[in-house]
Amino acid sequence: MIAVKSPQVSVIGDNQMSASSNWIPYLSAAKKSCLVENGVRKVHYNLPDGKEMVEEYNLQTDVLQRRMWKVSDTVRGEKWNVEVGDQLPQFDNLESVGIQENATAPMLTKRITKTNIEWRIRNLPYARDVYSVTADTDGITVRTSNKKYFKKIDVPELARVGLLADSSLLSYTHQFNTLIITYKKPPKVLEMESKILEMVKAVSPTKVPDIKNAPDQCKPS
Amino acid sequence: MASIAAAKVQEVREITRIERIGAHSHIRGLGLDDSLEPRNVSQGMVGQLTARRAAGVVLEMIKEGKIAGRAILLAGQPGTGKTAIAMGMAQALGQDTPFTSMAGSEIYSLEMSKTEALTQAIRKSIGVRIKEETEIIEGEVVEVQVDRPATGVGTKVGKLTLKTTEMETVYDLGGKMIECIMKEKVQAGDVITIDKATGKISKLGRSFTRARDYDATGPQTRFVQCPEGELQKRKEVVHTVSLHEVDVINSRTHGFLALFSGDTGEIKAEVREQINAKVAEWREEGKAEIVPGVLFIDEVHMLDIECFSFLNRALENEMAPVVIMATNRGITRIRGTNYMSPHGIPIDLLDRMNIVATKPYEEKELKEILKIRCEEEDCEMSDDALTVLTRIAGETSLRYAIQLITTSGLVSRKRKSNEIQVDDIKRVYSLFLDENRSMQFLKEYQDEFMFNEMGDSGDAMEVTDG
Repeated sequence: MIAVKSPQVSVIGDNQMSASSNWIPYLSAAKKSCLVENGVRKVHYNLPDGKEMVEEYNLQTDVLQRRMWKVSDTVRGEKWNVEVGDQLPQFDNLESVGIQENATAPMLTKRITKTNIEWRIRNLPYARDVYSVTADTDGITVRTSNKKYFKKIDVPELARVGLLADSSLLSYTHQFNTLIITYKKPPKVLEMESKILEMVKAVSPTKVPDIKNAPDQCKPS
Repeated sequence: MASIAAAKVQEVREITRIERIGAHSHIRGLGLDDSLEPRNVSQGMVGQLTARRAAGVVLEMIKEGKIAGRAILLAGQPGTGKTAIAMGMAQALGQDTPFTSMAGSEIYSLEMSKTEALTQAIRKSIGVRIKEETEIIEGEVVEVQVDRPATGVGTKVGKLTLKTTEMETVYDLGGKMIECIMKEKVQAGDVITIDKATGKISKLGRSFTRARDYDATGPQTRFVQCPEGELQKRKEVVHTVSLHEVDVINSRTHGFLALFSGDTGEIKAEVREQINAKVAEWREEGKAEIVPGVLFIDEVHMLDIECFSFLNRALENEMAPVVIMATNRGITRIRGTNYMSPHGIPIDLLDRMNIVATKPYEEKELKEILKIRCEEEDCEMSDDALTVLTRIAGETSLRYAIQLITTSGLVSRKRKSNEIQVDDIKRVYSLFLDENRSMQFLKEYQDEFMFNEMGDSGDAMEVTDG
């Protein structure tokens, strides 16, 4: 099968859809399917505007582990763009990609805890007083006084409830070559998340055979 | 003091002269005015008024973009400006319309069938204008580092350090990207953008912070500010890719970087069918636009009967480009058959073509062309010498006369003169034989050459038609 790639590229972080603070109606209009596997509740959204999104919730804590968006690209084909959680492992080698960041380059991951939104930037070996993290109208900005790293971080959660980043909720620490930025979730975000969780829990999971814990009926010789 | 300055200027020029001078590098367009009337001498074109006017009409047709699959034949004697007219059309069409130029003999390859080569050429000449958002890396080069393995074989390892005013990042480079960087001559201090999706590198200029390094900066060097903010940005761009590029990108076996090395091999028919369907779909949805371009086949008599019948069919396709062919043959054998036909092209294909004839240049026109070439090749020539050279061009060939410009320029420089005199022309005329004198020479001394099988008839031209 040859997948012909479409030129229409949708981007996350570009808060076109989420800026309108009707995030909950947008998600509830989606066609949802759910799968419980390895202690993770995976929810797949077929959104009304043709986009696709996947969320993964931890069954124990009910915290969102990962959220990713399907993006199609004229050149590389379909891929999943991770909004929350660890990046997917990359298997393309350098020859086919052409250019990629060095392994020592800083890497940003985002995770969500019960009360906070957290960003970790690994591979930042500079002293703590080099960094400055500020909240402004279009998100959070990380700067370094030695001009080695700069990043504008979007916070789609805030945009979805129609809030701006607030510097009083923002804090950061630096240890083990990692800059950890913490943003305390405002009540509005907590409320939105609990509503979505309720919605997600209402979707009955598809049965999949539990291969890992299945009694091994077939005994290979 | 003045001589030192002069020497320095000379040195700078040596460094900046990177582009070589080609046979048609003086052509910048077709030299037509707005009502498509040809100007006698304009944009490097001289004479050939009717042919240029016809080319102008064809150009309008291409620009309208409505008619696909027309064929134009430029027919004329050697050295009457067929390739020049095609080049002029390419220049006049501009960057956005795909123009593919190939020679008829290019299709004979062991790696690819003839029809595949032709199909690729046809698809290279059809553009698809797509609007899309891509990720680009934009920054000032801090360091380019390429390590070759000690054994000399194996993959090269490359690192590229880029910075903006706020940050700095090291990137790893793959082999093909290293080649691109070498080709673009990217060096520390350049401000470049890399399209992450296509791997295309473009130089924006040199950073202002490097403005004090006077070495290796010519008059055309552009200075730009070091970019701000993050290195990776998302940008909406409209770019024109050819159908062939879309084919290659989508044929899994190659990967898009095959485009740079050119080793695309054969592409399966089903890939092409799917692309066609997809492009038609994009077109209906308004995501993409088809830009039919021009395929120029020089020396078209070198194609054989299979290619001609393939072209017959291909021209009827709605996705076909405008095909311009050029030939200098008269009534001759069609390659691959024993039939004779005008221009060595089958009658049924000739019937589908509009034929534009080029005529031999007149003496006045020859003089103009030689004058333009003198300027292009940076040689000053006295009026007498130009008259002599024009006579040589009339008696031998225009190409031979053009060859004499730079050579006589070198001879005049040897005797420390900046202007070419008649004596210099005479000298190179005696040094280099033209075709007629060479034949004369061979006829006189043929007995002393090896493998001499030429009888008294002297019909040497038969050999070329194989």
